[in-house]
Amino acid sequence: MTTWLTVLAIGLGSVALRALPLLTTRRLPERLTAAAGAGGMSVLVGFSARSVLEFGDPSMPYAAPVAVVSVVIGLVAAFRGRGVLTSTAVGLVAYVAAAGAIGAVR
Amino acid sequence: MTVELLTSPDAGAPDSDARAFRAGVRASAPILVALVPLSLVVGQHIAADGDPLAGWAGSWVVYSAGAQLAALDVLGHGSGWVSATAVGLLVNLRLAAYATAMQPDWATAPLSRRLLAALVLSDPPWALSRGREHGRRAYYLGAGVAMFLVYPSLTGVGVLVGARLSDVAVLALLPALSLGAVVAPQLRTRPTALAVAVALACSVVTVALPSGPSFALTGTVGGVVAWICWRPR
Repeated sequence: MTTWLTVLAIGLGSVALRALPLLTTRRLPERLTAAAGAGGMSVLVGFSARSVLEFGDPSMPYAAPVAVVSVVIGLVAAFRGRGVLTSTAVGLVAYVAAAGAIGAVR
Repeated sequence: MTVELLTSPDAGAPDSDARAFRAGVRASAPILVALVPLSLVVGQHIAADGDPLAGWAGSWVVYSAGAQLAALDVLGHGSGWVSATAVGLLVNLRLAAYATAMQPDWATAPLSRRLLAALVLSDPPWALSRGREHGRRAYYLGAGVAMFLVYPSLTGVGVLVGARLSDVAVLALLPALSLGAVVAPQLRTRPTALAVAVALACSVVTVALPSGPSFALTGTVGGVVAWICWRPR
């Protein structure tokens, strides 16, 4: 029952958060929508940063710094115009290569 | 549900809308693949909850992996539904920013279309459509509807098999890489790049906080910086 209550309450609240700004047909000020867009981008970047900083891999040492470098390599590829799939693959390959190199040195 | 029903009659020719819709579906495919591990982890957490059916229903109703994980975590610590709801909504505050940023594109769309856009709003379709020049509404709906159908199905699979895949550590990097790859090409304008750089520093500083307050702070800081740096075009 507690889980149902939680799911329904968050669901209703989330629908309101999603829908209310879209219900108005009057154009919102450009400055406000630009700031909201940058705020949204910031949250996505925060999500990515957080999941990399909290990354752990019991099979190798220095997993978090290696993950940071690998993700940066993937994002540089994306910034330079590579697609999502290619950039993601570049980041993953960088991590696996670094893990292999560290494993060989150990 | 047909493409014609989902795309807006005043956004362009039906043909180009249908093409944009399909392009949105295609663009979401690599992200959906990359979100498989995260969805399975969510499914694993749902399976561990006392009421897996209610938890899985949350994949449709809450429709946000972050909010769902955070709320299940709070429930798992016995803090009650009010605390879990507060944390879940804090994580989902970003959706209001996304919807506000989308509003100029949707102001002329019919009410039913705007409600559908709100219903399928999540991080990947919003971020993908930001980089789209033409047919943005149909493109967004293509990515959004694909996401809305696939994500809850994946968490359902995760309820059954989540523990196996989530043991492969490197897969935990996939959501960060794929969402980051959507955002990175959009950092070419100075205000956005500056806002995101400051927000990145904020997210590093607040990493010890729970995800809800950390995301809220990060988003607010990014938005404020963009507000200050904004110049009329």
